[in-house]
Amino acid sequence: MPVAKPFTRMKTVELEAPQRLPVKPENIITMPLGLLGFEQVKKYVLLGSPEEEPFLWLQMLDNPSQGFVVVSPTSVVPNYTPDIPQGDVDMLGIKNAADAIVLNIVTVRGTESTVNLKGPIVINRHTLVGKQCIPVNVGSFPLQHPISSLPIAA
Amino acid sequence: MLVLSRKVNENIIIDGRIVVKVVRTEGNFVKLGIEAPADVPVHRQEVYDEIQRNNQAALTSGRPAAARSVAGPAHPPAGTAAAAPIIPSASSPSAPIPPAVPIVPAVPTVPVAPAAPTTRTVPIAQTKTPGGSA
Repeated sequence: MPVAKPFTRMKTVELEAPQRLPVKPENIITMPLGLLGFEQVKKYVLLGSPEEEPFLWLQMLDNPSQGFVVVSPTSVVPNYTPDIPQGDVDMLGIKNAADAIVLNIVTVRGTESTVNLKGPIVINRHTLVGKQCIPVNVGSFPLQHPISSLPIAA
Repeated sequence: MLVLSRKVNENIIIDGRIVVKVVRTEGNFVKLGIEAPADVPVHRQEVYDEIQRNNQAALTSGRPAAARSVAGPAHPPAGTAAAAPIIPSASSPSAPIPPAVPIVPAVPTVPVAPAAPTTRTVPIAQTKTPGGSA
């Protein structure tokens, strides 16, 4: 697979019109296996702004109008300890917990939004390679954790 | 698809390291014991299916309205109308987050799976008569 030379090319990503922000190669998250149900979409950009904290927007690089609202699980549940399969840890090149960014997908349903705790997205902070993992202890977590229980100070 | 007939307490060995045992049958159910190294994920198909469906339901068009509708100032009590979408001001553009900036304040622990093999018992619905599918 050809490896793009870093910093040689900037790609412009469309946000809400008319903003256009340059996306540097070092900001692109690669998911070699995609997300479940979106296996063909392998490149994402993670966007966020202070007024939307703790939520972030995982935007498809090549389809900027589409993406997922994601959230760090620490904002949602205090003791979320998904047991990531060793194969995934190896594939992502994660040596210790500090290497990992963990994000969970939010399903926006008005006042009844939920967070999927069964399928965390684990990203290697240094390589920005990620994967939607199914924890070994997946049975301990709900698929649709109500977001109204968010312990955030808005 | 390879289709094998097994009696209760008989095993299938996959790749020399994964043992699937028929523990018992109950009407429409077959109870399987699976012994596999910790680095081999074993899940019911339904787990993949439900995460996939949930992902599809979570796909969102347009970031600002979506993110603000959950990040908004209040989660209105049930029965009241949701807050109107906020028109983003040009002065607060969102920027790609450089990886160097820690965007996850506290990283949840990612425990490494134990090396010891584990035995899991997974009841699954009985498949069709052997030889019935390709």
